[in-house]
Parts: sequence; structure tokens; C-alpha cells
Amino acid sequence: MQKRLLAILLVLPALTMIVLFFIVPLFASIVGAFEIGDTFGLGNFTKSFELYSKDMIFSLVIVGISAAFIGLFSVAIGGYLILGENPRAVALLRWLYRWPMFIPFIVVGQVMRTFLAKNGLMNNIFVSLGLLTPLQTVGFLDWRGIVIAFVWKQTPFVTLLVAGAMASLDRSTIEAARNLGASRLRILIEIVLPQIAGTLLVGLILSFVTMMSVLSVPLMINAQSPTMLTADIAFRINAHGDYGVANALGMISLLLTAGVALIYLRQTVRERS
Amino acid sequence: MKRLLQASLILGLAATPAAAADLTVLTAGDQNMVDYVNDYLGPLFEKENPGMKVRVVGTGPGDAGSQKIVERFDAQAKANTEKWDADVAVIHEKFAGPLVKDGYLESYRSKIASGAMVTSEKAKMALGSDVDGYVMPMFSSQTAIAYNPSVIPNPPKSYEELVAWAKQNPKQFGYNGIKGGASGVSFVMGWIYAFGDGDANKLMNGPFDEAETTKWDKAFAGLKDFTTNAVLTPGNAGTLDMLSRGEIAMGPVWVDMFYSWKADGKLPPEMKLFLPAPGMPGQPMHYVIPAKSPNTELAEKFVALATSPKVQADGIVKRFNWYPGIDAKFVQPELDKASWDKLFVDISPDDLASKGKPFPIAPYNKAILEAYEKNVAN
Repeated sequence: MQKRLLAILLVLPALTMIVLFFIVPLFASIVGAFEIGDTFGLGNFTKSFELYSKDMIFSLVIVGISAAFIGLFSVAIGGYLILGENPRAVALLRWLYRWPMFIPFIVVGQVMRTFLAKNGLMNNIFVSLGLLTPLQTVGFLDWRGIVIAFVWKQTPFVTLLVAGAMASLDRSTIEAARNLGASRLRILIEIVLPQIAGTLLVGLILSFVTMMSVLSVPLMINAQSPTMLTADIAFRINAHGDYGVANALGMISLLLTAGVALIYLRQTVRERS
Repeated sequence: MKRLLQASLILGLAATPAAAADLTVLTAGDQNMVDYVNDYLGPLFEKENPGMKVRVVGTGPGDAGSQKIVERFDAQAKANTEKWDADVAVIHEKFAGPLVKDGYLESYRSKIASGAMVTSEKAKMALGSDVDGYVMPMFSSQTAIAYNPSVIPNPPKSYEELVAWAKQNPKQFGYNGIKGGASGVSFVMGWIYAFGDGDANKLMNGPFDEAETTKWDKAFAGLKDFTTNAVLTPGNAGTLDMLSRGEIAMGPVWVDMFYSWKADGKLPPEMKLFLPAPGMPGQPMHYVIPAKSPNTELAEKFVALATSPKVQADGIVKRFNWYPGIDAKFVQPELDKASWDKLFVDISPDDLASKGKPFPIAPYNKAILEAYEKNVAN
């Protein structure tokens, strides 16, 4: 009995933290989404769709495209790390690829903004190399800028997971395929990738959820229309003091991420059974 | 829901007590507002009142900044806090009415010397609400369209001509939408004044009539079309930034920011301004004193200093290129002719009088912003 009490006591601080700082605010914002003045209704949701339906699709598409690129790059980097034949290049890549992970999103936004602007660093380099004339330059500070920032920042994270999974693979399958004359690309796609697909999916889903919640990057690169839902939530609160619609938008983005989480759950259940 | 938010706000507020000899000034607006108090007004007040320390807190640009001040007062009022943590606040016009209505402010204009020098109508009515006595205008600001005369020798004179120009010169006009600061908001309001089927005067003076909000469809359809030919910039400063780098040739800006950037060398010296007919809105920023300020008397002294003709001349007009908050005739004698004229190089006093409009009253303001999001942005 006493042991049990002790256990409860030990769990209590963590539990209070979760209830106080996670469950209660989450519940409050869900309730708040349905609150209109003193009554309850769906008004906040109709307004959200009326004003921001385009931004919802935009957010999903942007994050989806980013996740696809992240998957591609992380598999490519991870694949080179285990299949690469030039030890110096492998060591250099291993040392380099993690850096963006340690840079906060807001800094990424700032860096990208000066880099990708119409007369920014990137275009200035092109112009000085004679590849473009100043009139031909195009600014990337729209949806493309957001995708570039997201991919740049999140690829190392997924690569870290993927490369770890690849390194722990049984190398005999790879050696066998190589002995039979398979190319490295074929080994990567047909042998390595299927074995680490679960890890890749987990990495991508975690990235998806992270990207859905980033405010600083869309705010700095493209806070205009269409923009990410996070920028709309901030605008509802800051300019209108309208917590109702902000909560509704929050719930909608929660549902969007929940959809992705569901795919993930199904996948794991299928794997276990 | 509300209570929870308030509880968390109070928790945050309780953690930041102000020291006794501090005069705390909250200010909404861009960084230049914080700089104004930090670099100029604060030191001046500290010199006149030895031992005092002026602490300034910037709450951010645009309406969002004022909204944070309102929420701070709200939280402290609901918590029945005896003394609030701010002595003076600088807020946008739109928020003066609600603050007065909630009883959060002190009526102090008659108690200070410079109170009698305020003649502007904007100090009596703020977007349709009676605020007489509760506010002292810090300055008036105006939006206008900045352009590069080397690219555009003959700028358009009205909104109609501007539309035609933008069609011929795609992606040469830039504005910051409505989410990135008030210069874009002002451009949109001016658009509705120009192209809305309703009565623009009713929007500016009230009363609010739901039926009026249905008369903007055509105007917004036009604006949507216009926006596809325009560039959306990241903010008030973003528009100026793109102008200076030649990425756009024209865009709405705050007049004061424009002159300050020019004075700092951040804009090419040949850049000019014009006010398109029928006009664009401008607004004052107001000094208010919370009813529960811990140092009411000092706060009054601070505002009296800030609105004295000398400070209005040296600080507001000369240093920051704002139009004075008190009647200009009290300010003019304190200024040399060059500084006075500089304010009116591109926009003549007549232009300012006829084309400097107020923003629409609060309910229309809100309705236009939402209609913009619904019709143009979505």
C-alpha cells in the first residue's frame, strides 16, 4: 500500500505539469473555439473557413511539399553516408549536414530573407557571375521561400534518424546485392529504403507537425496572402483580439496534424500485427 | 477560457514589478517610438526630475501593439490590482474609445498646461467614440504614396490614375496587405473611400449602419485584381526597404518613417511623396494615463513635458518628422523655417487639409479588414 502511495507521489509532479500546462490549456482552447460571446456555436469555424480556407490548403500543400523534399534529401544524404566510396567526402558530409539543426527557426527566417530577396545575396551572386541580368532576377520571398527554409532546417533532423537506422542495418544484404552487381542507387532504393521506411515515416511526421506550428518563418518570409495558418492565428489575436477564431484555427490545424498522426498509428499497428 | 488567459497573464505580470522611482511608459508602434522615449524624451524628463528613471516598454507595431496594452490593463482590472504597472501609455487612435468606455483611463487634459493648446477634432472624438479629456495627441501621422521620380517622372494624382499606372507597370507597386502594419491598412481604407459605393463620410464619422458594409463588393473585386499586379511587402519597413533597393517603384508609407529613413540615408534622397485623391487616412497616437497609475502626478508632468511646444518642435517635428499633436501655431514659433518647411516639401498644407482623412470609425474599420480577408486575401 505504502509503496503504491509513494509511486503516486513520484508521478504527481509530472502529472500536475501535464494537466496544468498541457491538458487544461488544450481543453480551454477547444472550448474557446466554440464560444461566441456568452453562447456556444459554430460561428468561429464558419468565419475561419470564410476567411482562411485558402490558407488552410496553402499550409497543407507547403508542409507537404517540404516533407517530400526533406524525405528525398535525407534518404540521399543517409544513403551516401553508408554507401559512399570516397571516405573523405563521407566524413565531410557527416560533419556538415547537422549544422542547420542547431539554428533556430527565427534565424533561418532572417537568413533566408536577406538571401532570397529580389536584390538579395543569391541574386547578387548570380548577377555578378553574369548568369542573370538585374532585370531578370526574381525574389523567392513567397511560398518557395518558406519551402526552402523548412527543407533546409528540417532535413538534418530526419537525416539523423534515417542515417542512424541505416547504420544499424545488417550489412550482409547490402554486400550480397553488391556482389551480384547491383548499382548503389538500386541498393539504396530496393534494399535499404524498405528496411528503414518506418523510421523515415516517423521522422517526416515529426517534421510535419513541427512545420505546421512554426510562426517565425512565414511571418518573416511571407506574411501576406496566402500564408500559413500560424500567421493568421497571430493576426486574429494581435489585430482583432479575437480569441474565438484563433482557437478555431488552432483546432483546425490540430485536426490536420491529427490526420497525419492517424496514418502513422495505422502504419505501426499494421507492422506489429 | 477568458479567466484562464487572465490568470496566466497576471502570473506573468506579477513577475515583473516596477521599482518605485521608475516611470513606466508603454508604447505601441514601430521601434522609432521606443527610440523617441529612450533617446530623447526620457533623458529630458530625467534631467528635469533628478532621481527619476523613465522605463519604456515597446509593445510592437500596428494595432497589435495597442492590443497588448489593452490586454495588460484588462488583466490588471479584472484582478483588482490596486496599482497598475504602467504610468503612461502611447496607443493608437482605435483603442482610445474602448479604454475610455471601460473606465481604465484618467481624465487629465484639463490638468496640464498644454491641454489648452490642443485644437484637433481627433482629440475629442476617436473613430466615433467620445474621448474628450482623456487623451493628449502625441503627434499626427499621415500615410502617402512614396515613389521614385527617376523611374516615374509624372506620378498618378488619384486612385483611378494609380490603378491605370499599376496595370501598365505590373509588379512595380507594392503594399503590405493588412497584416504587416498600418500603411497597408491605410491604403485599403483609402481604396474603399475612393471606390466604395457607399458614403465615405459616413465611414469616417458614423453612425455605424450594417447596410453600409454590403456596398464594397465592387471595390474589393477591383482591389483583388489590382493586387495581382502588385507586390505584397513584408511590412511598413518592408515597403520602404523594397523601395530603397529598387524592387518596387511606388508604395504606401508613413510620412514620418519616410522622412526619417531619408534622413538616415536608408532611402535615396530623390524619393518623393504624393497623396492621391480623394485621400488617404492618417491617425494620431495618443498619450493616456491609466486611472490606477502608481505615479499619477509624475505621469501628468511627463505628458505635459511631452506635449509642450518646445518638445513638440524639437522632438516631434525636427527629430522624427511627425506632424505636431498640439495646434501647429504654438509649435511654429519654436522652429526654424527650414525644419518647418521640410515637413511640407512634397505634401503641401492644403493637400494635407483636403486629402488627409481620418480612418473609418471602429466598427467599419473592422468590417473592412474582414471583408478584405474574405474577398481579396482568400
